[in-house]
Amino acid sequence: MTIFTIFISAAIINNYVLVQFLGICPFVGVSKKLSSSFSMGLATTFVMTMAAAVTWLIYYFILVPFNLQFLQIVSFILVIASLVQLVEMFIKKMSKPLYDALGIFLPLITTNCAIMGVALFLVMKEYSFIESIIFGFSAGVGFTLAIVLMAGIREELEIADVPEYFKGAPITMIVAGCMALAFMGFAGLI
Amino acid sequence: MKSAKLIIVLTLTAIISGAILSVLAGITQPIIDEYQTDVLKTAVGDVLPNINSYDIKIIENTKFFVGKDRNNKPINVAFEAVGDGFQSKLKILVGMNLDMTKILSIKILSQLETPGLGTKIETDPGNKEDDAWFGKQFINLNTSSSLTYLKNEKPDKSKGQIMAITGATISSKAVIDIINATMAINRPLFTKEVN
Amino acid sequence: MAKKKISLLKEFTKGLWDENPVLVMLLGLCPTLAVTSSAINGLAMGLAVLFTLTASSTIISSVRKIIPKEVRIPTFIIVIATFVTITDKSMAAFQPILHKSLGAFIPLIVVNCVILGRQEAFASKNNVGRSIVDALGMSVGFTITLTVLGAIRELLGAGTIFSLQLMPDSFVPWMVMILPPGAFITLGLMIGATNWINARRER
Repeated sequence: MTIFTIFISAAIINNYVLVQFLGICPFVGVSKKLSSSFSMGLATTFVMTMAAAVTWLIYYFILVPFNLQFLQIVSFILVIASLVQLVEMFIKKMSKPLYDALGIFLPLITTNCAIMGVALFLVMKEYSFIESIIFGFSAGVGFTLAIVLMAGIREELEIADVPEYFKGAPITMIVAGCMALAFMGFAGLI
Repeated sequence: MKSAKLIIVLTLTAIISGAILSVLAGITQPIIDEYQTDVLKTAVGDVLPNINSYDIKIIENTKFFVGKDRNNKPINVAFEAVGDGFQSKLKILVGMNLDMTKILSIKILSQLETPGLGTKIETDPGNKEDDAWFGKQFINLNTSSSLTYLKNEKPDKSKGQIMAITGATISSKAVIDIINATMAINRPLFTKEVN
Repeated sequence: MAKKKISLLKEFTKGLWDENPVLVMLLGLCPTLAVTSSAINGLAMGLAVLFTLTASSTIISSVRKIIPKEVRIPTFIIVIATFVTITDKSMAAFQPILHKSLGAFIPLIVVNCVILGRQEAFASKNNVGRSIVDALGMSVGFTITLTVLGAIRELLGAGTIFSLQLMPDSFVPWMVMILPPGAFITLGLMIGATNWINARRER
């Protein structure tokens, strides 16, 4: 698989949010405003790329040589949790408004299944180190793409006449369904 | 003092968890391995007709399962073909005659395709007469040229043609592509070694 | 969370409807959407979560007093990950066929926000008995929601429920229902319906 096909397949065809259903919680929770959803996308992309690299190293240099594959889930989630902690401290120092905007959702990146998903898939698909990094990055780009598109639509929905009981999460889900339908058109691109 | 407590609690938790899991792995891993060997054994028996036993032959890191008749004479061969499907990795066991000009039968070993569509490459509950019709098309399929797929036409076995699944063209195509690609690599490898 | 007074029964039933993890709290949406292409998958996923959540809540609530506040999240995560691995490995060893169809999703239970959320919001603050009841209520609510969602999608998308043919032969399955868009749209309609029912009950 070339780098380009990995990118297209992880970012668009098998879009993490719309096709694989990973990272839905932040996708629904943080997609109200364009600006904060973009930052969320960037934070996730960053953590994902890092997580892909680190989990690959852990898997092939610690777990496989010592035959400890059964510790895969525990070790991956710990690595991801500490990475998120680092990113959180970093953002807190660098930009207070950004930190306030992302609020409680930063710790939730830990439980963002998309990141754990990247870690598990790169092992399942037997990617090389470079491929894994590209894969993590592309999955993050795909996540950013989906969440930013959704935020754009939701800002419009604010002024639209949505039935009362469908405001918020329900209409978001239905819009996501339409987006997923559109993204299915990319299937077969490769 | 405070941070010492933090470290102790975390380390203890990690050690306990590691201990529990290693015991568990010790119990379950042999069962899982045995199950997988069993599955593979059955699958080799399924794709290679009329064999009495089989040998595993490794040529340049590729595993071949050479099927033998009652007189221990090699009669056919099987290999695993692995590649990307629509949204998952496909693992297919392909059984062929010895000079690899004809597929005897195939079996999908693992797939996680779209439920209800791509999964029809393995079983199609919608087809009441034969839910494994897609895989059965490969039985006695001529492979002197590369395999191709058709839609809404009657496929010709002697030309290596396969009918694609409606709504799952990509998964159908993936199966064919993976078999084509693996055959192209394995055929020279195996025929050179045997003859 | 100082409402200690509510009865154990209430503690259980709140997870079924009032605080339904999926329909009201919008937690654990990833497995909800991903596995519910059929009723049986939804049920199996729900049961796997039931085991993991109840076991984790039991452990966490019984050691809650000795876990320092600063490291509670990592500790919760290790405990949850341990139980998920136990579920994964035992299923692979003893239910290999079921494991095959749910395989990729079992490890992802570890990041199911319902589980971590319940540890943080409930098990770390309440005694063992209450925590178990809470965990059971939440996971039963989760399981029912997933099974219903899976059943709706399977019925419209393939004409069956639990692989039983229910639609007449002339019914043409709405393929889109078992594909990703169907998951989003069905869940959106279910959440909307929940809002509507709740609003009517209040009136």
